[in-house]
Amino acid sequence: MGTQKGPALAGLSRILGPDALLTDPAARLVYSRDSSHMTLGRPLGIALPADASTLRKVVRFCKVNELAVVTRGTGTGLSGGAVPNEGEVVLATSQLKALGPVDDQGLRVRAEAGVLNDQVSAHASSFALHFAPDPSSQSISSIGGNIAENAGGPHCLRHGVTLHHLLRLEWCDVQGRALTTGRGLACERGIDLTSLLCGSEGTLGVVTAADLKLVTDPQSVATMAAFFPDLNDATGSVVSLLRAGLMPVAVEMVDQPMLEAVEAAFGFGFPTDVAAAMILEFAGQPEEVAEDADQAGNLLMGNGAREIRRAEDAATRMELWKCRKKAFGAVGRLAPSYVTMDVVVPLGKLPDLVREIQVIKAKHGVEIATAFHAGDGNLHPGVHYDDRDSELRRAAHEAADEIIRTALAMDGSVTGEHGVGIEKLHAVPWQLDPVSLELMWDIKRVFDPEDRLNPGKALPPPGSALAVPPSVPRGCTFNWDSMTVTAEADVSLSELQAQALERGLWLPVGLAAATTQADDPMGPGLGSDRSISSVVENILFSPALVAGGSARHFLLELWAETGAGRLLHTGAPVFKNVAGYNLAQMLCGSGRVLAQPRAATFQLRPAPEKLGVWRFADLSGDGNFWEGIHSLIDRLAHRDPTLGGPVFVIDGSQEDCSASGPQGTVTVLAPGRDRSWDLGDLDKRLVEVASLAGLELLEQKRFDFRSWSHALVHLPDWALAWPDWSVSAKRIQGKIEADRGPGDLQKTSFLPQKPPSRMIWQASPALVWIPGSATENEGWCCDHCCSGGKPTQLPDPDAGVPLDLLRGMKKVFDPDGRLDNPLWLKDENHG
Amino acid sequence: MADQRQTAKSHLAELLRSCVQCGLCLPTCATWLATGNEVHSPRGRLLLLEEVLNIEDPDTNIPVAFLAAFDHCIGCRACETACPSGVPFSLLEYGQGLAGDLVVNGSPEIPQPAVPGFVLRRLDSPSVLRFLGRVAGGTRSFFAGILGRRWRSRLDHLPVGMRSLVRLVGSMPTAPETDDQLRALLDDLVKSSSVVPPQTYPEDAPVSDDSPSDVAFFQGCANNGLLSGPSRRLCELLRSAGCRVEVPQGQDCCGALAAHTGRPTRAAAQHHRNREVFNKNTGTGSRIVVEAAGCGLELKEGLGDLGSQVIDAVHLLSGLNLPVLRAVPLKVAVHDPCHARHGQGISQQPRELLSRIPGLTLVEAAEVEVCCGSGGVWGLRYPEISEQLGRRKAENLATTGADLVVTSNPGCLGQIADGLALIAPDLPILPLTDLVWYAVKPE
Ligand SMILES: Cc1cc2nc3c(=O)[nH]c(=O)nc-3n(C[C@H](O)[C@H](O)[C@H](O)COP(=O)(O)OP(=O)(O)OC[C@H]3O[C@@H](n4cnc5c(N)ncnc54)[C@H](O)[C@@H]3O)c2cc1C
Ligand code: SF4
Ligand code: SF4
Repeated sequence: MGTQKGPALAGLSRILGPDALLTDPAARLVYSRDSSHMTLGRPLGIALPADASTLRKVVRFCKVNELAVVTRGTGTGLSGGAVPNEGEVVLATSQLKALGPVDDQGLRVRAEAGVLNDQVSAHASSFALHFAPDPSSQSISSIGGNIAENAGGPHCLRHGVTLHHLLRLEWCDVQGRALTTGRGLACERGIDLTSLLCGSEGTLGVVTAADLKLVTDPQSVATMAAFFPDLNDATGSVVSLLRAGLMPVAVEMVDQPMLEAVEAAFGFGFPTDVAAAMILEFAGQPEEVAEDADQAGNLLMGNGAREIRRAEDAATRMELWKCRKKAFGAVGRLAPSYVTMDVVVPLGKLPDLVREIQVIKAKHGVEIATAFHAGDGNLHPGVHYDDRDSELRRAAHEAADEIIRTALAMDGSVTGEHGVGIEKLHAVPWQLDPVSLELMWDIKRVFDPEDRLNPGKALPPPGSALAVPPSVPRGCTFNWDSMTVTAEADVSLSELQAQALERGLWLPVGLAAATTQADDPMGPGLGSDRSISSVVENILFSPALVAGGSARHFLLELWAETGAGRLLHTGAPVFKNVAGYNLAQMLCGSGRVLAQPRAATFQLRPAPEKLGVWRFADLSGDGNFWEGIHSLIDRLAHRDPTLGGPVFVIDGSQEDCSASGPQGTVTVLAPGRDRSWDLGDLDKRLVEVASLAGLELLEQKRFDFRSWSHALVHLPDWALAWPDWSVSAKRIQGKIEADRGPGDLQKTSFLPQKPPSRMIWQASPALVWIPGSATENEGWCCDHCCSGGKPTQLPDPDAGVPLDLLRGMKKVFDPDGRLDNPLWLKDENHG
Repeated sequence: MADQRQTAKSHLAELLRSCVQCGLCLPTCATWLATGNEVHSPRGRLLLLEEVLNIEDPDTNIPVAFLAAFDHCIGCRACETACPSGVPFSLLEYGQGLAGDLVVNGSPEIPQPAVPGFVLRRLDSPSVLRFLGRVAGGTRSFFAGILGRRWRSRLDHLPVGMRSLVRLVGSMPTAPETDDQLRALLDDLVKSSSVVPPQTYPEDAPVSDDSPSDVAFFQGCANNGLLSGPSRRLCELLRSAGCRVEVPQGQDCCGALAAHTGRPTRAAAQHHRNREVFNKNTGTGSRIVVEAAGCGLELKEGLGDLGSQVIDAVHLLSGLNLPVLRAVPLKVAVHDPCHARHGQGISQQPRELLSRIPGLTLVEAAEVEVCCGSGGVWGLRYPEISEQLGRRKAENLATTGADLVVTSNPGCLGQIADGLALIAPDLPILPLTDLVWYAVKPE
């Protein structure tokens, strides 16, 4: 460390102003700690920059002056990620508090890094929207910290973890450059820097703001608690619930010792003579929720629950959640010290792990209380001890390590959401193999060659990895109990889906089937098949996709061969995993520029029961066709995105769509349940709106979702072909606009002024496909080029994306350029 | 002596071990919200306290920066309510005590109050307060006369010293003195409110009565000196609910001011005097009713055995049958004084009480649990943070779209009035009991 303290502080003070640089002993003590109870040294000073530009100046200053920087949100990390070494600079984001206006059509909002998680939802509440990731620390943890740790929470079971709610990051690298991670489109191809930065614990860059996805508030919520006398019955019930086709928004659990601590703290009046309490929540339409909750209640009683309590009002609901969310805080009542683990295992292994923990507890003679994100297979066993007794301390840490090793032996991960920090550094080498750790370090060196950003966190030292990677799997293997599938690169998606659908599950990235469209002059269509490698390489792959999300969302584990011929295994077959960098997600959608997929594991979800198909026509020629479609879309645009669809296939081609008055048909596809409140309700609303808009119902059918391909005969041929291109879209004030991301001026609205005659509009994520006839001269810009049925090369990255860093990564993964080489990755003058 | 200190220390250290450093208390801490500096957060202060307790050698000086951190604590106790782990406020109070010497003797890190000491020390006298109240009232009218309704924000750009004077004037608690003034104000508000008056109003359902009883009324210096109108009306209200109200003569300040300005002997003497007065005048079973939440909390602790008979006025009213006579179609936001909400666990009662008034709509502001930044003498020593918090509170209250804000502590009343004058000069604030009085006493 070459820098003198005095001049360094004077320099920082000049940038920050004297009030925003803390150097007194009180601040140096307080900022040397976080919620992890760990401590390394005292920081040189604490910078509280007032805005992002000052923050970047601080980062640059530190680099130039050879100072290490530890970014800090609100210091609620449980793995010591924000704990500085002696003499480092703590960079606190607490003053970056701006929240942008809520975009209630695009369902997004921009938040600066220091905004608290809860504040985002409070800000969006008047639009009946919220930010889904809900760590139990949500009242206090910062968005920047959530991103850096890829935080999870109870409701991430249905909605996904923080990463799945990020559209775009604003960040700065170690040089203090103002950067972004892309355009922030609903579904974006490219080397995904958002995935790489998310979960990287401040070691690759500093996040200054993010565009966050919002989700709609459910109309109705049912929260219930089930009390189980037997722990096995409780853990076993988790899989039974999901396998029964129920998709609760959250399935949480606390065991007996934890229940007792919570009772002591809050006195909810819960029974404490049971082995576990499960808290689950359903959300959706009132009838749906009531039906699901009844079914779940019966199932749980049949599985050994002794008692079920349902929260009838908001206050009781809050109480039930408090029991789970305040569990961590209540732990202080159990013992003065504890080691909290964050292991995660495949769902089917949950009962085994919980049994093993009982054995380990007895063997080491320690006390363990556990809170679970049970639906995710994520457990927080806490070993409690009195730290004044060194013997107890040793036993506690031994027991903790044994639990971690046991989880790893079950294909689990050391950490599902709390991050590695410094606390789990010793255990990560048990999980990572040498190639993946080496690649992570290579990436770190590209981003931060001198190791100035949060040194000594997140990654264990180079060369320390001990795990032997599993060999590349063959064929297609389903793990029904864990709701995952592992498939080799050339396995066909249609085969995979067909098998999954037989068991009532699917991979909600869209449908494909081996039909006879291969000879179509327009190229193989929706009906044609796709391989798993194509799903991984091109997250967008299917026009009339009735999907719940992108492949990036459901990809858990990846085997890939880098351009340099190294076989990389990254991720784990678990629903949450933050051990090391998110290489699998980063590579997903990156075409074939860094590595070639060899096999992948995906999460499966309960499949919809039915696929509803409606076909409407405007026979009147009164010119209201597009308005009619608009009203239809309006009615359905805000459906819960996790349901998938609906999709509108709009065919205005019967007549020239000119001023004389367009005519045409629109086909609506929506997955759902065969009930009066779901597809029945949709039916009513669609017909009602359509008749108001002068559209006539030609046909209405409901297909068993398993035989969904029969629905394809209702689509025009062009909709089955690969379109020339697709665009992320959003709706603004009754118009659909090409979504080029915020701040981009090239938005072009085309409804209703100048609609292309044929297109497919998908509500969630908002995407538009336009077949061959649409061209750029209609004012659209092409983002996700596909031509002749094959995805083309990756589009140029957004101007804010650091090409030099991407090129650096290319050198790491594919030094000799053996794989695809888009111009922008090769050409130093490009961009 | 040293032994005793050691025992006290290890007792505190034991209490401190229940803090798991989760940080869940931070978002309720006003000083953290205002500064974004974790030193000024409950968890930060507790970490510093841990270090202080670790200092073995009694001669080792505690760094002044630590003491300054303890001293920044308003003592609002919001963190105690928020803490899932049951960490008691007494720990922070101990820290405040350590800083006490510096407060008295002065130190560059510990600011002195923005008012001279000789004035500060006399603020527990109703007549001094009455005088100051008149001066402040006159000054406010003067400014309003020349600068108009938005006088407060027009004066917001003055240099620091002048500004704190303006703030003193703006935050001196005030409320309509005569009944007619109060009625006129509320009549006007009702007329201009968008809330539709109810067609019929339901019978006020009788509450499970602590049936009408004898109450001894504690006057409080600020209420007595600055808010005599509301005090008088409160007594009327209690009488119309069937209480026999006695105002014992010879009562003194509750003792909070002396305690918070480093004069424990004076505080003890005041406690003693009040004990004597109330002992003489309060039968067993009758209640000592206190209008200001701050005094209530101090008395519960300071009156010794009588403490258990002390009851907050709003709390008492919420349990009485009131002959509510008229609808008050207004949107009303309640501000809970910390000493009621966190100090005495009173937050449901005011809402229950108000929801019995026909036509009245309650609206809830964001950050209800956060201190308004008044903090009595604290606000005089940390005017900048205090002002910032007052604005923040006013903003949160104004965002609800309320027609009226009500509260039940003179300090909060003045602080929020000043914030509202800056942010939303058309949004009035009144003592909560005045609003109830208006519903009960049409003429
Ligand atoms: C009571 C309690 C309950 C919790 N429950 C959950 C839970 O349910 N789920 C869960 O996932 N976690 C949980 N946590 C852990 C913790 O709250 C999360 O990890 C949270 O995301 C951390 O946010 P923070 O703002 O406190 O970050 P900090 O602790 O300040 O920092 C955490 C890491 O992020 C980095 N960082 C922070 N801000 C930035 C930035 N702007 N740019 C780059 N790097 C940054 C830091 O360097 C550090 O490595 C809980 C913690 C507590 C105390
Ligand atoms: S005082 Fe309570 S809420 Fe605050 S950090 Fe400690 S345990 Fe958490
Ligand atoms: S008492 Fe109030 S000001 Fe003091 S630490 Fe607690 S919340 Fe903060």
